[in-house]
Amino acid sequence: MQRALVAVVALGVAGGLLGAWIVLRRLAFFAHAAGSATFPGLVVAGPWGIAPPLAALGAGLAFAGLLSRLTRRAGTSADAATGLLLAAALALGSVLASDVYSSGAGVDRLLFGTLLGVSDRDLWLAGGVAVLAVVASAALARTWLATGFDPSAAPALGVDGARGDRLLLALLAATVVAALPAVGALLVSALLVIPAATARLLSGSLRGLLVAGVGLAVTEGVTGLLLAYHLDLPPGPAIAVVGGALFALVVGTRAIVAPRARETLA
Amino acid sequence: MSAASVEVSGLSAAYAPGPPALRDVSFSALGGQAVAVLGPNGGGKTTLFRALLGEIAVVSGRITLGGHAAYVPQTERARLDFPVSALDVALMGAYARTRWYRRVSANDRRLAHEALARVGLEDHARKRFGTLSGGQRQRALIARALVQDAGVLLLDEPFAGVDRVSEQAIMEMFDTLRAEGRVLLIATHDIEQARRWDRVLCLRGVQVAYGPPDTTLSTEVLEATYGAEIVVLEDGARAIAVQHHDHAH
Repeated sequence: MQRALVAVVALGVAGGLLGAWIVLRRLAFFAHAAGSATFPGLVVAGPWGIAPPLAALGAGLAFAGLLSRLTRRAGTSADAATGLLLAAALALGSVLASDVYSSGAGVDRLLFGTLLGVSDRDLWLAGGVAVLAVVASAALARTWLATGFDPSAAPALGVDGARGDRLLLALLAATVVAALPAVGALLVSALLVIPAATARLLSGSLRGLLVAGVGLAVTEGVTGLLLAYHLDLPPGPAIAVVGGALFALVVGTRAIVAPRARETLA
Repeated sequence: MSAASVEVSGLSAAYAPGPPALRDVSFSALGGQAVAVLGPNGGGKTTLFRALLGEIAVVSGRITLGGHAAYVPQTERARLDFPVSALDVALMGAYARTRWYRRVSANDRRLAHEALARVGLEDHARKRFGTLSGGQRQRALIARALVQDAGVLLLDEPFAGVDRVSEQAIMEMFDTLRAEGRVLLIATHDIEQARRWDRVLCLRGVQVAYGPPDTTLSTEVLEATYGAEIVVLEDGARAIAVQHHDHAH
């Protein structure tokens, strides 16, 4: 349990920081799909004797490559192509798990994470992506800000937006892989999207968004993990439920407070 | 600042891979001059700007810039929901000279505040860019170009979505920038407004004409630039280009 807590705190730092940029850049659906796309890789990792993070990364890269091919060459819109590949990855993973390798109950662990399966390697990976996310957020904030604000004008500001985007997606892929043991392939959004989406409602500044994103991701991760421990649930759904509840609470509070504030001003 | 200049000779530029999107452009402008760049959508206005910024390949010809060039985009292209203030936008002008491991320097922050004061936005520095009016957003983007210390300003439809009061304020600011020896290249669809500037450059994939507005903006030149079907002449004195907005090139 302690190892899972350490892992989820580190993942909260990475997820909160990168999640803020993902939400700002409207990449939330891509982040969710990238996590789910690792499922077939994780299913074949054991039978094929491949380290799960490597298999997940391979599947994630295949997803990104196919997405790029579909959108650039086949002319499919990005969201349609992402949805298509997401469904294909889940279907392929399900067929491999149930009919080819008979993974049985192990599928739940791959999809929703586990409290018991956090190894030393997983801890190092989580810590590594946390450090990388902090360094990248400091070093690339200006690039990501200028590119997200107006991609067409970014080059004239001396900003290499293409390189910044590649690094953002690479970091996203590494964080997704690192988050798999704790939250599973299906619910990486619980750490990457939900906290940042909630923070977006709470803060109008970039600094506030980043700080609130990390704070919420860590809080929701730890709370969800404790909930999962005491209620004997997989951690991924528990963290997602806590995140969703906080998001709903903020939306509800805003709906009540904002009209009153307007009335007071009027 | 020292007087800036632009000299373009026989320019053809292309988005790789592909044929030239703009051919045979030759013109020069000295510091203090404002040049209206007229043309239909896809006529090569943005292509010219991108070539001047060094963002696309120059297939043939030569570009000589006296001074740094900065691009001032249309405000509608920016994400208005982005959590950036007017000051943040102005500070973007210092990004190119700020190393990735450093913060924007105190001197550049001072320059950004000064630039915002020059465009009349010192009281709005902390306001979110998306909450500013169209004219204020345009002025924030011009402040960003000033922080870039640009001698040559490439302004893409600076009056689009701007009210009359802001338009007047921006016009006065342009006069100040010209008096400082800067060159302004102003992409516009407004033919009547183009008459106010020192020179007019007409593009339709190729240079149609270049010169003072009085002699350049003839019916023949406008028809060659926009096509006869979309130029409406009223009493032979006014011309209006009617077209859809599409900024692919």
